[in-house]
Amino acid sequence: MADALDAQWNERNRELGALLARTALGDRGAFARLYERSSSHLFAVVLRIQRDRAVAEDLLQDIYVSVWKAAGGFDAARSQPMTWLASIARNRAIDSLRRAQTQPMLLSTTRDDDDGPDAIDRQPDDSPGPLELLDRACDARELQRCMEGLTRAQRQCVALAFYDGLSHAEVAEHLHEPLGTVKSWLRRALLALKTCLDGALARDAAAMGS
Amino acid sequence: MDYARPELIDALAAQHAAGTLRGGARRRYEALLPSHPALRAAHVRWQERLMPLAASLPPQAPPHRVWQRIEARLWPAAADTPLPWWQRLAAWRGLTALATAASVALAVIVAQPERVQPPVVVVLQGTGGAAQGVNTFVASVSGDGRALVTRPLLPVSVEADRVLELWSVPPDGAPRSLGLISSAGATVIARDRLPATLLKGGTAALAVSLEPPGGSPTGAPTGPVLYAGKLQL
Repeated sequence: MADALDAQWNERNRELGALLARTALGDRGAFARLYERSSSHLFAVVLRIQRDRAVAEDLLQDIYVSVWKAAGGFDAARSQPMTWLASIARNRAIDSLRRAQTQPMLLSTTRDDDDGPDAIDRQPDDSPGPLELLDRACDARELQRCMEGLTRAQRQCVALAFYDGLSHAEVAEHLHEPLGTVKSWLRRALLALKTCLDGALARDAAAMGS
Repeated sequence: MDYARPELIDALAAQHAAGTLRGGARRRYEALLPSHPALRAAHVRWQERLMPLAASLPPQAPPHRVWQRIEARLWPAAADTPLPWWQRLAAWRGLTALATAASVALAVIVAQPERVQPPVVVVLQGTGGAAQGVNTFVASVSGDGRALVTRPLLPVSVEADRVLELWSVPPDGAPRSLGLISSAGATVIARDRLPATLLKGGTAALAVSLEPPGGSPTGAPTGPVLYAGKLQL
């Protein structure tokens, strides 16, 4: 299962890399194909963070206009195409939350611990929760082993921040934990992931060298 | 925030990738990114670490109108799908700019009123089989045949004392050198090196060979041909 997903991921990245290279050279056909092959993934990333569909559609437009203009800056030596595309999409989605928060109408996010809307209430019923997504993602990646090294609370922090675009304060509110605690959980979780993933990389490199 | 401390840079990049860097800190981070190599390096590493998580989200197909609007924004004059008038404002503005530019250009190119042709893209596949991997070069020739840009899909590892040379291969006769090309990034071939018949049947294929420093000493490929692709018009 993990190998099949890995192979799929690699195959997709190879194809998207070729399309991005041609997009950078001004090939509209390649750009159209790139959109066809990646837009439903990027839309999922955006929609998860920005729940307003109309806003999410506008963001997706902006994202692909940026991709067309910035394709020449994609560096295949340093980034995977899917990583590059998904990070543009995530940035735009998170930025749109920031703008929305400055508007008075939406400032009424509750500070109440008892009956406020939380991240789980915001999920449409059929969409998987953040922890479930994390498990699925981990099926395919070295991340699984590394994620298993985290505490459940740490894992939950990573999932809420990454998938749902929650800020430190929102994660704290959702988990009913003090802000400082959540910040330190997340900091430690990220550090532990880094150590673990880099260790795996180093082992791979050593194995290839021997 | 002191952006000179490596552990702080790493922590900021981690928070940015996780999505929790917000407000002024996020804006400062993104503003610094283009001009701060250490921050950029940490940024790319953290994106690579966490972004595979996004692969597990169930895909959501966007409605077709999103693509139509992207096309309308990028190529206002080419959009043939009717849009509500308020969305056509951008197109109008584009057309006005285009009309101004066109009236200036017209005076210059009135002698050659040919329509702008789309670029011709040639994919140069590796010739070495599995050992060479799946890497390819992409060469794009402008529609008028007067500009050529090459770019490897992935950087090619070449020994320090070897270079890559691009060749135009005619339907019959000897290949003609178009110059040395980068093994890592885009190379723009000087216009005066391109054969005038490049897109008019004078070139059947493009090829990349491995040569000593400075390029082939004989005027013909001396090293192995690593990549080749047919020009399809």
